[in-house]
Amino acid sequence: MITRRYFSQILAASFGTAAALTAATPAFAGALADIMKSGTIKIAVPQDFPPFGSVGADMQPQGYDIDMARLIASKMGLTLDLVPVTSENRIPFLQTHKVDIVISSLGKTPDRAKVIDFSDEYAPYVSGIFGPPSVLVSTPADLAGKTIGVTRGALEDLEVTKIAPPSAIINRYGDNQSTIAAFLSGQVQLIGTASAVASAIIARHPPVLPGLKITLKNSPCYIGLNKNEPDLMAKLNSIIATAKKDGSLNAISLKWLQTPLPAGF
Amino acid sequence: MMAFSTWDIIRNLLLATRWTIALSLAAFIGGGLLGFLILVLRIIPSRAAGLAARAYIEIFQGTPLLMQLFLAFFAPALFGMNVPAWVAAFCALTAWSAAFLAEIWRGCVQAVPLGQWEAGASLGLSYAAQLRHIVLPQALRLAIAPTVGFMVQVVKGTALTSIIGFVELSKAGSIITNATFAPFTVYGCVALIYFALCWPISFGSRWLEGKLNVAHHAH
Repeated sequence: MITRRYFSQILAASFGTAAALTAATPAFAGALADIMKSGTIKIAVPQDFPPFGSVGADMQPQGYDIDMARLIASKMGLTLDLVPVTSENRIPFLQTHKVDIVISSLGKTPDRAKVIDFSDEYAPYVSGIFGPPSVLVSTPADLAGKTIGVTRGALEDLEVTKIAPPSAIINRYGDNQSTIAAFLSGQVQLIGTASAVASAIIARHPPVLPGLKITLKNSPCYIGLNKNEPDLMAKLNSIIATAKKDGSLNAISLKWLQTPLPAGF
Repeated sequence: MMAFSTWDIIRNLLLATRWTIALSLAAFIGGGLLGFLILVLRIIPSRAAGLAARAYIEIFQGTPLLMQLFLAFFAPALFGMNVPAWVAAFCALTAWSAAFLAEIWRGCVQAVPLGQWEAGASLGLSYAAQLRHIVLPQALRLAIAPTVGFMVQVVKGTALTSIIGFVELSKAGSIITNATFAPFTVYGCVALIYFALCWPISFGSRWLEGKLNVAHHAH
């Protein structure tokens, strides 16, 4: 699994470069006009990253990102076509125009900014180290001798590696669900993940409750779109700004993150 | 958030299994037909045909299926062609399994002693008639075990199609795990369903081998 995931990430990265070289043609410059004309907007959403995107018992996508996609489609007066993606293939889906935009808890990184554009932020994303009350940790120095599970290559992996003392044991897992499984089964004492993921775990009343121990980083989520689409970008940003003002974004946050949007968001 | 009952988990996994079965069947049938064509090109006494078949086999055996799926789905889109995911999956799985089946069957054809060909020739049979009436029936019996072994691999190989958006058995398992945080229940069910798919194939192969051997002994 791990090998496969890594391989496909490398593949996606190299393929992305090729796509950027060939696909950035002016034919797509009128993206907004094309979308409005087709009457349908195709939005890539996650289905394996609760509470941003997971599935209900009917296997239909649900979550913060899905509600955000619904909001965008309804404000634009378009039919919504949800396209479930993974963290590995979401950028290729966008670059090859199989979707119009990506709402998939996408963080802004310099590497991604080379190949796609980002809207304004639409969701808070705070990562931290979480653990049960019995594990006493409040500063990075307390991590000495503790075992911490993180998803390899994720933001939390990079941050924990930076702050943890040498005697801390960092176990890296291939994907989000393996990291959670490792924490719930007691293979690691602490878990480095997003606060929203920790709340999603708590919502299911597991035997070990992940409470916040150390805040690692604040890196909000952005809507991803192809480069050189200024009209679409302006439209998305105005919808996000309105949703922040009229409280509809706050309602989504209360529903899925169980907290209001942070002040100044 | 909607809760999953155990029945929901099993029901959704079984629904996703339909894709695993459909993709496997497509790969067996498409790959079998194309594989046979390549086998013939590979063994007929023509240098050019042999080289072409070998190049095909080397390319598809020497590159990962995951990459073939990825390219089949995303590469045409770069040139403005929108290939649906099921077309890309069918083409990639067919091309990939054809390469392996052709090579497996070549081994079986070559395992038939040269004397059989020569005996056919001495009876005045044409090359095609030697292949059709003397060699292939004997090679078929040898081919059953390795072909079935490969079929089981194909069933498991369909899991890779999740990269282009298919929610088949493995992917459904990981999605449901992320919604329920109950990996042992979900992956336990996934493993049982894969076993239920693959075991009858292996069992059928043993039965078929026995049956064909009986036919052979009756000669």
